[in-house]
Amino acid sequence: MKSNSLAVGLGVLGVVFIILAVLYAIGALQLFTSGPGSHYKHAILLVVLAVASFVGANFARVKTV
Amino acid sequence: MGLLQGASELFPVSSLGHAVLVPSLLHWSFKQSDPSFVPFLVLLHLGTATALLVIYRDQWVAIIRGFFTAAFRGSMQNDNERLAMLLLVGTIPAAVLGVFLESRIKMLFASPYEAAGFLIVNGVLMLVFEALRRRAEGRVAAQAQSRTEQEEHFAQAERISFRAAAIVGACQALAFLPGISRSGVTIGGGLLAGLRHEEAARFSFLLATPVILGAGIVEVPQLFSKSVPIGEYLAAAVLAGVAAYASARFLLHYFRSGRLDPYGWYCIAAGVVSLALLRFSL
Repeated sequence: MKSNSLAVGLGVLGVVFIILAVLYAIGALQLFTSGPGSHYKHAILLVVLAVASFVGANFARVKTV
Repeated sequence: MGLLQGASELFPVSSLGHAVLVPSLLHWSFKQSDPSFVPFLVLLHLGTATALLVIYRDQWVAIIRGFFTAAFRGSMQNDNERLAMLLLVGTIPAAVLGVFLESRIKMLFASPYEAAGFLIVNGVLMLVFEALRRRAEGRVAAQAQSRTEQEEHFAQAERISFRAAAIVGACQALAFLPGISRSGVTIGGGLLAGLRHEEAARFSFLLATPVILGAGIVEVPQLFSKSVPIGEYLAAAVLAGVAAYASARFLLHYFRSGRLDPYGWYCIAAGVVSLALLRFSL
């Protein structure tokens, strides 16, 4: 499914994941965690999700030759 | 414990269930509620992951290369690139569920009764997967003379759909329940998605590697920060790797014509016997 709108959406989602990853890493976000402090496991996962979103965005964008 | 985990991790019989049950039944001195218990299991998993990396080393090089090539190009042009993206799609659901629900799932780890119960559920699942597969074989492979010919009517791992890869990946999260086998549910999911038994096992083993490695990387530092016998734990991890290597070789050969049924019946029997032993404190 090729669509530049979808590509932009996935790109924005990737950026959101990066922001959430930073918030988990510095301990500012505690959602679904076992306790206070830095949550590197959550941060690493969100970085992976961001990478997947950016890859998805690259797949979704309409290529111009 | 190393040999037990390595041998049972890749067999569809739940290594975690066995790791919780066997020490309880044999009165070993492992405290399953101890904070170092799960990191210890993860260290054993790392031994298993290393064995899988050794077995599929050439394939992983091609998959990683295929991932970066396809990611930057924005399209897939060969089987390795497709397999790389399938593994990414398949890994994400289990990783998300594992990270965000981990603390709640861990609460189930300490009970051997629950492990025994889930082992029975796992056995029933294996039998259901094979029953559904036999029905599919009846539709597409009725003329086949042998098991090998039957299997040829089904697909290779690279041909699985992305939706099926995501579902199979999500099934991995069930394995956080002690007694439910990660390889069992993913091989079963692969069978339902139309893969050959051997290919379902290969996809399961490839899918397991990043999850196990990822879990290991984040948990192992906790292990080293506690007063645990690291030397013994590392020796156990090496034994787990050796056992896993032998298990994977055996299973890949077995699934050329073998089925999940024997493991299903084993899980049901082991679960029932374990429940009886635990109930009557034998």
